[in-house]
Amino acid sequence: MNTAADTGSRPESPVESLTGALVEATDQLLALYELAKVTADSLDANASVGVILSQATRLFGASAMELHVVDDVIVGPSGDRLDPDYGSTSPADSRTSLPVASTTSAVVASVSVSNAAGLEATLIAHRRDRPFGTADHKLLSAVANMALGALHISRLHEDAVAQAVISRDHDTASDLAVRALPDWRPSVDGVELFARSDPARSAGGDLYTFAIVDGVFHFVVGDVSGKGLPAAMMMTNVISASLAAFQSEGRRGPVHVLSAIDSWMYDYLSDAGLFVTLVCGAFDRRSGQLRLANAGHSPVLFVHNGSAEMIEASVPPIGVLPLQILDDESAHEQSFATEPGDRLVMSSDGFTEQENSSGVMFGDGRLIDAVEGATTPCSELGPRLYDMIEAHAGGAEQSDDRTLVILDVIDVPLRHDQADMTGLT
Amino acid sequence: MQISTHTHPVDGAIELALNGRFDAHEAAIFRDAFHDALDGGSHQVRVNLAGVEFVDSTALAELVRGMKRCRELHGDLTLVSPSDPVRVILELTKLDAAFDIERVAG
Repeated sequence: MNTAADTGSRPESPVESLTGALVEATDQLLALYELAKVTADSLDANASVGVILSQATRLFGASAMELHVVDDVIVGPSGDRLDPDYGSTSPADSRTSLPVASTTSAVVASVSVSNAAGLEATLIAHRRDRPFGTADHKLLSAVANMALGALHISRLHEDAVAQAVISRDHDTASDLAVRALPDWRPSVDGVELFARSDPARSAGGDLYTFAIVDGVFHFVVGDVSGKGLPAAMMMTNVISASLAAFQSEGRRGPVHVLSAIDSWMYDYLSDAGLFVTLVCGAFDRRSGQLRLANAGHSPVLFVHNGSAEMIEASVPPIGVLPLQILDDESAHEQSFATEPGDRLVMSSDGFTEQENSSGVMFGDGRLIDAVEGATTPCSELGPRLYDMIEAHAGGAEQSDDRTLVILDVIDVPLRHDQADMTGLT
Repeated sequence: MQISTHTHPVDGAIELALNGRFDAHEAAIFRDAFHDALDGGSHQVRVNLAGVEFVDSTALAELVRGMKRCRELHGDLTLVSPSDPVRVILELTKLDAAFDIERVAG
């Protein structure tokens, strides 16, 4: 490196000049090495670019440096913004070259760079004691690219963190929504109940809930369209509406329960662009009467003497069109005089639509075959059906919630025809 | 899923012909194509489902949303020639009662 004494005593020889240039180049390489090290230390944009500018300021002997990006300016160690009237050069009109502009008191250089992601930045350097030369051009470009790279990595990191936070919030909300499903099983004489819902990674809005009103067991099983947070949030609302409807309309039967849920939920679902398939049921153990109303839910199977009957929906899901089912109540209710051994199986589409690695669905057929051939109680059949789904999937990802509710009629003390005579129904 | 768009020669409605799986992963593609159709001024939208091999509840919700939007604009969304798997789903969910469905021979 040259010193004031050296330069003041005699003219520099070519060898000394060359040696000085080599030493300076080595210093610059070392400074670049230091620059490369500091960029890996921080993922904060201002911190990492600030350190680069600080090192570069020292490298160039600059009085100030700024990195201009579209919506921000990061300043170097001086902490002061450059005078906007530093010369004719500005970030907007100097994207590709290295204009060197002199003002009365200083020289300014700027270099603009961009990367493949479309991020653009302009580095502006300010030096008082000497102008920026051609040799500085590549170094300034290297610094600008380094700062741009650090900025890019920092923003990618910020995006990833933001996505992770959103994802975590969604997962938390979905977990909370799943907790809205009852973890208790009603104690109803003469009935055994199996209920389970395995949420998919992105919760799908499956639901079930129960209540006993005046000794009658009421239940709903449903599926909100869509996945993730909107479906999970809507699912909790449908559960609340169902529990309220059991209390207010349960005595009048499942068609009235369904109609009440529709009247409360239709606008909400419609505004959200969602719908919910829902089967509502009421089982009166005293009479053995099972009453069902089905709004678009499938599959629902009633098994009697080992033969399964598909209980079809009479109306579309709630949220599609206003149901208007009270005008013809009998057309929308299916009623069964159950006997011991009868069974009601309600699952969600995520159960039957589970695909294997070849894209073949489990399907209603396999479910019906399994249910018709079962002689075990629902406490054993339910887990076995889940095992069958898992075996069918063969490791393929669970694409939707898998929900299964089975109601086994164990004992009916009074048949419905007798109950009618005694006025118990 | 692939979507091709053309104008129906008889009534001038925009017809979106869907091919492949129509599920939660593809819903945004349909929504964009549907909005493009509406932005083009057509409130009569036909959705040809002959080439759709699977629909899930998210896809059905997109169709319902589209149907409601068209009806708000005094138009309609017609389902055209649903494939067997789609037809079964529409019947099981009773959504066939909510949509205008046109079955084209051949």
